[in-house]
Amino acid sequence: MSSSTVSVSAGTPTQHPFQRKIDDIKPSKTDINFVVMDYLVSEGYPRAAEKFAKEANIQLPLEEESIQSRVEIRQAIHAGDIDTAVTKINDLNPQILDTDAALHFALLRLQLIELIRSCTSSATSDVTPALSFASSQLAPRAATNPDFLKDLELTMTLLIFLPATGKLQKELAELLEPSLRRDVASRVNEAILMSMGARGEARMRSLVRLRQWAETKARESNRDIPPVMSLGLQDAEERPIGHNGESADVMVQ
Amino acid sequence: MRRSSYAAALAGNTGSSPANTAPTRSGAFSHLVNSSTPHTISQHRHSRSIDADGHHNSMSTSWGRGGALPSYSSQTGHWQGLGGGAQDIPPFFVPSYLRGSKHAEKLQEAHKAKLAAQREFRSTQSPNAGSLSTSSSSANLHKLAGSHRGLTHEVIERAPVFVDEPVSPWPMKWNESDKFAQLDIEDGGRQAKFSGSQKTHDEAASVTVVSKGKDGRMIGVGFSGPKVALSRIPGWEPDSFAYHGDDGQIFNNTTSGKNYGPKFGTLDVIGCGINFRTNTAFFTKNGHMLGTAFRDLKPNMPYYPTIGMKKPGETLRANFGQEPFAFDIDKMVQDEKAAIQEEINQTKFISSAASAPDETQFIHRLISQYLAHDGYVETAQAFAEEIVDEARALANDDDTIIPYQEAVEDMDALNRQKIRAAILEGDIDRALKHTQAYYPSVLRDNENIYFKLRCRKFIEMIRDCNELTTQCQSTHTSKHTASNPNNHNSTATDEYDFQMELDEQFGVNNPTPSLDDTDDDDDDDLDDKQAKLQQLTANTIAYGQELGAEFANDPRREVKQALKDTFALIAYENAKESSLAPLLETDGRVPVAEELNSAILVSLGKSSSAAIERLVQQTEALVSELAEDGGPGAFINVRKDFLQ
Repeated sequence: MSSSTVSVSAGTPTQHPFQRKIDDIKPSKTDINFVVMDYLVSEGYPRAAEKFAKEANIQLPLEEESIQSRVEIRQAIHAGDIDTAVTKINDLNPQILDTDAALHFALLRLQLIELIRSCTSSATSDVTPALSFASSQLAPRAATNPDFLKDLELTMTLLIFLPATGKLQKELAELLEPSLRRDVASRVNEAILMSMGARGEARMRSLVRLRQWAETKARESNRDIPPVMSLGLQDAEERPIGHNGESADVMVQ
Repeated sequence: MRRSSYAAALAGNTGSSPANTAPTRSGAFSHLVNSSTPHTISQHRHSRSIDADGHHNSMSTSWGRGGALPSYSSQTGHWQGLGGGAQDIPPFFVPSYLRGSKHAEKLQEAHKAKLAAQREFRSTQSPNAGSLSTSSSSANLHKLAGSHRGLTHEVIERAPVFVDEPVSPWPMKWNESDKFAQLDIEDGGRQAKFSGSQKTHDEAASVTVVSKGKDGRMIGVGFSGPKVALSRIPGWEPDSFAYHGDDGQIFNNTTSGKNYGPKFGTLDVIGCGINFRTNTAFFTKNGHMLGTAFRDLKPNMPYYPTIGMKKPGETLRANFGQEPFAFDIDKMVQDEKAAIQEEINQTKFISSAASAPDETQFIHRLISQYLAHDGYVETAQAFAEEIVDEARALANDDDTIIPYQEAVEDMDALNRQKIRAAILEGDIDRALKHTQAYYPSVLRDNENIYFKLRCRKFIEMIRDCNELTTQCQSTHTSKHTASNPNNHNSTATDEYDFQMELDEQFGVNNPTPSLDDTDDDDDDDLDDKQAKLQQLTANTIAYGQELGAEFANDPRREVKQALKDTFALIAYENAKESSLAPLLETDGRVPVAEELNSAILVSLGKSSSAAIERLVQQTEALVSELAEDGGPGAFINVRKDFLQ
């Protein structure tokens, strides 16, 4: 028996009892590898997925023919090239956007934002292209759905505020954040996966949420759990949720 | 007489209360069983249902329990009783609404353990010894057996607390020992018949009484706490809840009911369920939901399914899930589950570290760290590159800082990768050499891992022998059958498609008699292989002897066992077709590699598990904490629902 490990755990002085319950659970590497592989494939990291299959000695899921197109679509959306993205999505399966009006609208709105961005930053500040795109492409759709309309209105106010470089209010600033593109890109990715009959969302995401949900619930119901449960990501100084200042991080470094 | 002629039975929670015959034991036992029921700890608060098909008056009652206090959490007595009773453990079943749940998995394991324990118990001890050994509770025996005490109100006593069984079961049958004296339990604990004041009433009589009609019949179906007296109809006492068939009213702690549903009588199927998430109870009649009957049930009260009847001869038959329920309880459970799933999906990510401001980046960090931690160097590199590409595409400006780079260039990661790769390829010697070179202390400090590696090497040698034998054999066969040459290749790769004829392997050193003298390419090849095989076999034996000698004096049981199993491989001509074949699987390399990797990490002062592993551990622990009183966690099976 490795006396070293024994002494390490015995050495941690005030270990929360819940920590033992945590330590008693032995996740299987196979499960972890599955979750990682699932993420790489469904979120579109083909090179990593391929290497991982080799290094971890596991099978690359075969059905994944769409991975390359999904990566290209994602890249196009991330780069703000919505036209290309839409073309590629339709090449893959025209049904996807036809059946998901909200997704299609989100893409068009992203395109509008890019247009506004480029119009207002051009020398002439001519906003005509943005206006005509909005009225031809988005307005008809917005008429069918109050949520779309709200989004469109908000987006259009960008036209007024964007040139006046000052501080944008939060919801307008958010429209310009890269995270909006990323969100739309991942919605598109999910929609493609669903259209192929795969599970939409990567397991990893559900897992992370489950962890969050479970912790929140446990704290709400005053379960006896440590104020902080560290994951041990090197620089991640996980902040306590309870206001007990003492770190209960019992991680073995 | 009115009250006293009322009989009630509580359902025991498991099949573990077999009819006990010997009076002394049954006394002790009844008590224990009784007490065991409250401990439904760590429970699902799903509604559990019992359904019943009626003989005469039929009912289904369902019962759910959750939230017993932690102090009740044990059921030793219960186990003991079982062992002591030495009755057959009734067949285990999982009600459909619990299928796939973590709770059911736990119980199934417990059931297996119980069977194993019983086997062991029977083989080693006389039954009585066991049942008495534990019970401090045997002192306050539940008084019940056999006496017709008519008016006596039987108060159920609690057993002292034991700490043993971590998982509490669902109801499976009526509790033989926790009932009004004049109630008979029949049909494997599922049928309850009120026999009246004398045992002479027989079944025929009961049929007629029942068939007389509705008047005067009074049957209550419901649930009650552990202290409720059993001589009054369910619903009249505090902590007793019931739906009565004669008037369709519901009762709780009162003799005047509230209008609730239709009356019920012969052949009706009444279902009763508790939703432990909402702390409400409902009834169903013939598969139709009658709506919420009781609210604000006490979360920590252990409730038992209960039935009560008033007239001699009345008979009820219960279904605790052995058969499909009349009501579609599964759908209800599915809906509950879906609601919780939706809640989880809607959970917003809360950033806990500056380096992972949102969910995606957090996940990317988890993955990068895992890949680096476990030494998947190339994957980590590829992933990092792809992430950077993605971040570049996403960045509005070129000067955006690329979020992070995991330190993949870490020499240790590379070294560990080499070692892992060697093991996964089956090249144990190389792995040992690298480990010795880079981390000399690891093998010294972790003798058990060293031992496993050595055993694995032996297994790999056997594998090689097998492989070679297969090739020889197929070459041989193809030559003899003189079939077309293509056959050669196809059969050579097929490990199963050959008949063993060679007997020289594994130490029997006489040369193959069947090796004849026709000379063609195959033969040369074959000769070669035969020679190689012999050499390899000899080496394997020598290695095995060395291994045996090295650990011969090791006192540890697991080492001895491992050696025994490993060496047994040599006894088989073709170990792949033996019962030991699993040992030969290449899958077996993975745990060895992981264990060594972890040991190296520990020796480097790093955590032996990656962040994502800890995330899984925490999640499982939290979820089972949430499932403890039948809370929302009960609907989640982390491994099944999230990891596969």
